[in-house]
Amino acid sequence: MPGVQAALSPSVHFIGAFDPMIRTFDIIMKTANGSSYNSYIVRGSEGVCIMDTVKKQFADQFFERLEKQCSYDEIKFIVLHHLEPDHSGALLDLMERAPQAKLIISGRAVMMLKALVKSEIEYEAVSTGKTISLGDKTITFLSTPFLHWPDTMSSYLHEEKILFSGDVFGSHYYDERLYDDEVGDFSYAFRYYYEHIMRPFKPYVLQALKLYKKYEIDVIAPLHGPILRMDPQSYIDKYEKWSTGAKYKKSIAGRKIVSVFYMSSYDNTLAMAEKITEGADAVDGIVASMYDLASLEEQNMIDLLEESNAVILGSPTINGDAVKPAWDLLACMPYLENSSKIGATFGSFGWTGEAPDMLQDRMRWLKFRLPVDPLKIKLIPNDQELMQSFNFGREVAEITMGKMVEMEL
Amino acid sequence: MAIVVFKDDNIRVKVPVGMSLRQAAMKTGASIVFGCRVGDCTECASHVSEGMILLSDKTEKELKALEMIESDIADLRLMCQCTVRCEEGEIVISQQF
Repeated sequence: MPGVQAALSPSVHFIGAFDPMIRTFDIIMKTANGSSYNSYIVRGSEGVCIMDTVKKQFADQFFERLEKQCSYDEIKFIVLHHLEPDHSGALLDLMERAPQAKLIISGRAVMMLKALVKSEIEYEAVSTGKTISLGDKTITFLSTPFLHWPDTMSSYLHEEKILFSGDVFGSHYYDERLYDDEVGDFSYAFRYYYEHIMRPFKPYVLQALKLYKKYEIDVIAPLHGPILRMDPQSYIDKYEKWSTGAKYKKSIAGRKIVSVFYMSSYDNTLAMAEKITEGADAVDGIVASMYDLASLEEQNMIDLLEESNAVILGSPTINGDAVKPAWDLLACMPYLENSSKIGATFGSFGWTGEAPDMLQDRMRWLKFRLPVDPLKIKLIPNDQELMQSFNFGREVAEITMGKMVEMEL
Repeated sequence: MAIVVFKDDNIRVKVPVGMSLRQAAMKTGASIVFGCRVGDCTECASHVSEGMILLSDKTEKELKALEMIESDIADLRLMCQCTVRCEEGEIVISQQF
């Protein structure tokens, strides 16, 4: 393992592992430049603290680097900023080698720890403000949940002004030169990581950034990719910009956005979509638009979905199912912030008409708020049914504008 | 039936005794965020600003989970862990912290 400049500062060293050949991470992410599982050691006058471990298959690299920096009996604390297996894979092995070390995790991690290790191990659960001391070094913990696991926390080393940010500010980008001012251009990987990992949790990103602002930060030490020391604030600014952007887009000239997505075989679902859009757009404070899923690229789907306050999705029923582009649209939801969206479904059908119900079920699991029953019309909508479609759109739009919904279960 | 108001969504719903607030939220489409749905992840933790007395008592599991995330849990409940226990009254729920 030649050439790694492990020292972030006199008392903090990189002891993580490199995974140059990984090409797909967590099933969903492409990693053209490989990745790293970052881990750090903090040395104080009264012992050392290990910040996270690595993926199990890379434990040898981790222990080899660790042994260059300390002996196991010096380890006072082991901190896991979250329990995802790519950072907790060497935990049990490390705890066997350093049985005196105290494991520190967040409160939300407790149940997960039990599920992960399947045995009783000792730990201390911490929340924002809890501090540990290594003599001349002090570490404060910050609760930064859901970034991107529920149990995620960050920590701050006061004397060196280093933020250990967990997966926040990470990149899947392998480069043994380690630091942002030494490695190649990883900006694409930084953005891609945000888009795939952090984007669904924008409100939590903003909450975490508020906590970080209380500290002067010289170095950000994330759990994947380059260590950020050249201009840490610029990365914080990027996260802030990306996480607030959609909020502004969620209204056009102060109006809320209702998007009607549809596919149509014989123009019947199209006719419903037109009336629904018309009905929604008739409500004060709403701008409604319709989109033909037959010609919508995935990236555009993601952006439109994210910007919409309400999503109304229409599909005919073909062979007892909704059509594939409708499912593809909903498959984009895990990539975006989806809190408090209103959803509704509709469709024309010939025989059985399950599609709107099936889509509504899927939307329920995707955490849409679904205040109205699916609207289903057999074959060609007549005038009365077109009026029904208009009213359906108007009802969804009124609820989007805050109309109180009364119901009985 | 008790009345449950999901304040963040302007939903007002009559809920029968014995039904969990998770079921009520799911059936009405309220925007309460759920994770594990079994009381471990605390993602559905919500403030009950009115009507706490109308809900089932906190179990030991729920208490433990809530104490992990907040020091003051007096008006906090996990939506997946509590049920409506009284016929009359209003329960007001919000997930805005």
